[in-house]
Amino acid sequence: MGVWLDVDPRSGVPIYVQLVEGVRRALEVGTLRPGERLPTVRALAGELTVAPNTVVKAYNELQREGLIESRAGVGTVVVGEAGETMRRRKVEDLYGRVGVLVRDAAGLGITEEDLRERFDRELGRTFKTVGNRGEA
Amino acid sequence: MEELANREVAGSGGADAAIETRGLVAGYGRREAVRGLDLTVPPGSVYGFLGPNGAGKTTTIKTLLGFRKPDGGSAKVLGYDVVGESLEVRARVGFASEVDSLYGGMTVRRLCRFCRDVGRTWDQALVDRYLGVFGLREDVKARKLSRGQRVQLQLCLALGSEPELLILDEPTSGLDPLARHAFLKVLVGDVAAEGRTVFFSTHILSDIEAVADTIGIIKDGRMLVSDDLDHLRETHKTFRMAYAEAPPEEEMRALRELPGVRSLEREGRGVRLRVRGDTEAVYRALEARPYEVRDVDGIGMSLEDIFIAYVEEAEGGR
Repeated sequence: MGVWLDVDPRSGVPIYVQLVEGVRRALEVGTLRPGERLPTVRALAGELTVAPNTVVKAYNELQREGLIESRAGVGTVVVGEAGETMRRRKVEDLYGRVGVLVRDAAGLGITEEDLRERFDRELGRTFKTVGNRGEA
Repeated sequence: MEELANREVAGSGGADAAIETRGLVAGYGRREAVRGLDLTVPPGSVYGFLGPNGAGKTTTIKTLLGFRKPDGGSAKVLGYDVVGESLEVRARVGFASEVDSLYGGMTVRRLCRFCRDVGRTWDQALVDRYLGVFGLREDVKARKLSRGQRVQLQLCLALGSEPELLILDEPTSGLDPLARHAFLKVLVGDVAAEGRTVFFSTHILSDIEAVADTIGIIKDGRMLVSDDLDHLRETHKTFRMAYAEAPPEEEMRALRELPGVRSLEREGRGVRLRVRGDTEAVYRALEARPYEVRDVDGIGMSLEDIFIAYVEEAEGGR
């Protein structure tokens, strides 16, 4: 266990942040699934040679985000709704990117009309091929 | 959550800090190696004590262990005064250093027995386990061991008395990469994971950058900075700004005035800035500059960059 997590202590990114992102990624790609256990603080600290306090900090953050929980006698596990929580998060990220895209477009002098036309074209392309999934 | 947050922290005699010095002064002859050091080590932390050679690291450690008396200020270890209660300190603290005082003529087995006889508690099974981890044989005399092996042996012996605090002076400098990894793994995966505090001096930054959760940088006997290491990573960044045209001097001056900007230099048509503090706020301020900014890129600083920044600042400030 623990092989799917890795940290680069030289990168300048806080190690607890790297751990949080590593677990999120594992949830995204399915390496880690709801109900599955995370390594104990001790095991992960030893495996990655990072301070146990750093692992605790990362697990606390993941718990705050509603992705994991600690169950008495079982350990730290991925919560059932982790997938849904992750999806909500990604949707928020995506809307954030839409905002950036619109601002960048304005910065490049693209008109509202041109941008809307492009958007409509993309929407037509995607939702036509995928069917009426957007309506479901 | 409770289970995680309340990870048990061993002992520390109810003290708020595993180590606490206030205005500590200690010198050799007329030279003061430690000049008013304020040091606070949180219980249960892995604390990296960093500094250039001659910064006062070893003198500080000798004072903490009661090997020498402070010339001023105060020092408490696990809540006990290092001068008045040195026996209490020694009974609860394990120690290993690059320069050891092992009796070279004794075998590993005899050294174990010796430590068991002088200590209050002794767990031979634990010592045997760690001797196994490091591949140290019991029938070998200490003097036949390499410098690195002697440090490993000291760690094994120190752990035998189940110390609440482990003080290590440059423990990894004689270890090859593999042995170093095994050593650090024991420190974080076993010692610290049990809630014991590890205080670790080194000038090898790569040893500490993964393993420590808190660091202190000492220079000329004074603390330059002492903080959570991940917090330091969050509050230090290098920004690269690309301008359409090389910015005029007045823009350079304005950038220098921004809160958090510690230094800056031109880089072709762009500017490179070293920032400390609220790096998000600085990023927004840089993006909003009135000159045509093509791109702003923030890069996290490694511990080495952070270390150099503090040491250079201290040198410039004199």
